[in-house]
Amino acid sequence: MADQDKQAIKNNVLKTMFVYFSSLLDREVFDRNKELAGEVYDIIVKPTQVYPQSAQLIIRKGFPNRKYALVDWKDITNLESDTKEVRLGIDKAKLVFEERHDNKEELTLRRDILDQQVVDTHNHKVIRINDIHLLFVDHALMVAHVDISTRGLLRRLGFEGIADFAVRIFNPNAKYLKAEHLISWKYIQPLSVNPASMTIKVDVPEKQFSSIPAADLGDIFLDLNIMQQVLLFKSLDIKIKAKVFTHIDFKTQKLLVEELAPSDIVEIINNIPSDEATDFLEKLPKKDAEKILALMESNYSRKLSQLLGYSNDSAGGLMVTEYLSFVKGTTVESALKQIKERTFKVEPAQFVYVVDEGNKLIGCTNFRRMILASPQDLLESVIFPKLYSVHLDSSVKEVAYLMEKYKYYTIPVVDEGGILQGIVTVDDVLSQVIAIAWRRFKNMKVAHKNNL
Amino acid sequence: MKRTWAKIIIFLSVMGPGIITANVDNDAGGITTYSVAGAHFGYSLIWSFVPIIIALVIIQEMSSRMAVVTGKGLADLIREEFGVRVTFYAMAVLIFSNIFNTISEFAGIAASAELFGISKYTMVPICALFVWWLIVKGTYKSVEKVFLLACLFYVAYIISGFLSKPDWSQVLHSSVQPEFRFDKAYILMLIGVVGTTIAPWMQFYQQSSVVEKEIKLENYNYAKLDVIIGAFVVNIIAIFIVLVCANTLFKNGIRVETARDAALALRPLAGDYCFYLFAFGLLNASVFSACILPLSTAYSVCEGMGWEVGVNRRFRQAPQFYTLYTAIIVLGAAVILLPNVKLVPIMLISQATNGMLLPFVLIFMLLLVNNKRLMGKYTNSKAYNIISIFVIVAMISLSTVLLFTTFVH
Repeated sequence: MADQDKQAIKNNVLKTMFVYFSSLLDREVFDRNKELAGEVYDIIVKPTQVYPQSAQLIIRKGFPNRKYALVDWKDITNLESDTKEVRLGIDKAKLVFEERHDNKEELTLRRDILDQQVVDTHNHKVIRINDIHLLFVDHALMVAHVDISTRGLLRRLGFEGIADFAVRIFNPNAKYLKAEHLISWKYIQPLSVNPASMTIKVDVPEKQFSSIPAADLGDIFLDLNIMQQVLLFKSLDIKIKAKVFTHIDFKTQKLLVEELAPSDIVEIINNIPSDEATDFLEKLPKKDAEKILALMESNYSRKLSQLLGYSNDSAGGLMVTEYLSFVKGTTVESALKQIKERTFKVEPAQFVYVVDEGNKLIGCTNFRRMILASPQDLLESVIFPKLYSVHLDSSVKEVAYLMEKYKYYTIPVVDEGGILQGIVTVDDVLSQVIAIAWRRFKNMKVAHKNNL
Repeated sequence: MKRTWAKIIIFLSVMGPGIITANVDNDAGGITTYSVAGAHFGYSLIWSFVPIIIALVIIQEMSSRMAVVTGKGLADLIREEFGVRVTFYAMAVLIFSNIFNTISEFAGIAASAELFGISKYTMVPICALFVWWLIVKGTYKSVEKVFLLACLFYVAYIISGFLSKPDWSQVLHSSVQPEFRFDKAYILMLIGVVGTTIAPWMQFYQQSSVVEKEIKLENYNYAKLDVIIGAFVVNIIAIFIVLVCANTLFKNGIRVETARDAALALRPLAGDYCFYLFAFGLLNASVFSACILPLSTAYSVCEGMGWEVGVNRRFRQAPQFYTLYTAIIVLGAAVILLPNVKLVPIMLISQATNGMLLPFVLIFMLLLVNNKRLMGKYTNSKAYNIISIFVIVAMISLSTVLLFTTFVH
């Protein structure tokens, strides 16, 4: 057999195995006695494993007073891709027609999927569905793919034949004719809202959300409207929630937090990195931040509220509170003796600070100057001629600049009254500066990529 | 006191869509209509702005409410509830009608450029480029700020209104006491004034921009206030345009056909300042509308067809959106640059397509806003429905009459 024939047979088989939902719509439905019962309006599907299966058919009759009736799938005797009608095995008198059709809890194809927005977890996008590709399985239909292509759009409009013809004339091998742009249902997360329970139907938990890079997940979220954002977020598991939360803007974060139960908020804060947590809490109004902290486990909340006191890129946020200082009037000899006797958690480098009785910073010296001085000299006589210090709210850039300029390994931090509060060491500054530089470098790379 | 401040701050964050949408209503075509109304009928049409305010509030409020409650644009909702076919044809007419609307905005730019003694061959391309650049390079927030600034410039008409020294007691008298005349010209003018008030694209634009702002349900009352303020502001400005022309042109029996004629006729009667303010107002309104019309079209079409949308995206991420936006601007500007282009048929087509689309859009809106599944308890109340049906029927019949009369002429 020629290859062409094989291909034709294969196409034929595919054609009879699959059917587009749009081609089923409005098909006439006949009952057992070949009397017209109505037309196909919608299909209710049941989530079984990955691909939902048809459970009931909704048929419609009458105009303008439309009425709708449900038919169990087992009562359908004939529904094929190439016949233009549907036949039922029951009497049409048995059908119960009602005014409403859209109050069903289950997922229905026309109401919840066709023409609606969904999340495509494969291509990490929010998309609108132009058609649904159904597969015949043991007399039932299975939702296999969704179609988001222009060709699907044209099919719905009734222009597919004309468009195909036109494209074929210009380019018989056009990508348009081959690429079906079908996306497997396993990657589709519907966003339709159940009005009764105000939840989004998640038929397969997680729907590959865990495989989406966090940044893309954040982008998907920003494409949704408020309601979808809140409801989809609620339906996710905590790991994904944390991932999403750290990759959306503050406005959306705040919005989500306002809609969530306190226990959920605490769970999220506990599951995101502490710098992200402080970043978020910092931007909240103080009252709200305190409320969240009060709900949290005490150890972690204490750590966070401490960090929160200072912005994390200021001297106050970077400093350590262990340092060497002596009240003025101390001799070099007694200072050196005290240094030898003390133990330190963190090595405080070789700088020694001289303060007055109120801990106000007077001067700074180092070990070398102290060793070279005579033991009876007072500390204030061996300090550096000039004193440099930073304020609690000085930026990390300022701190880095001063350290580089004066070759300091540590720099003292003072408050408005000049009272010594702590010191910033070079390694903490360096890690901050590297982070800034790295972010910039990354942005440059992204910008570079986008320009290509 | 603190609570008042908090309220003001919330309002400022919600404010925008209603005021901007309403103000675009005073575009080149609107200004022309109001100028002619003032020049030909003096103060006698001012009363009609009172019902116009009510109609505008009723209809725009529904758009705004649907946006806040469903979080979806009008084109989105039409697609989701009425299917792809209806959406496609509605969008096709919308594109067509907005192309002609955009051309008439560029005609307004050309006219005002000539008033300032600048050639349209320099002004139109510059404005087209500016408008294009603003959206392609901007973000939603920055664009909205520019739009609000443009709204502020409408104050030019209020100043020029004062410069023309109106008789205030008579203005007040004629705005509260309807004066109706059964003469054909008067009725046609009345229909023209009311008919330009509500255009199909406005409902799409307003709903999309409320959605983009992510206004929350609890702040809905502020969004309503935004709509009400917008309706008042736009009509007060329209009244001032009528006043300027009534005080000068009508008193001296000068008849005009366009906003450009009106401005030129103003110069000897009301002075240079009044003339420049009037011309500046026209330029501002035309540029502003030339920006919003293509934007609103691109938004609605891409929403409805399911293509990537957004000012915040790059060209490669939303190719259909930017292609459509660019094409409408290029087309709009190019037509005006053709030598000997006839503006009257363009205006007629733009009016006709607006009139054809409007009934459908308003009926869709009414069906959607009363859909319990979408709107929950925020559907129209019975009384509101009666009023809105009345307004909608009135708007539809007026725009149909307008459609016929313009073609019979």
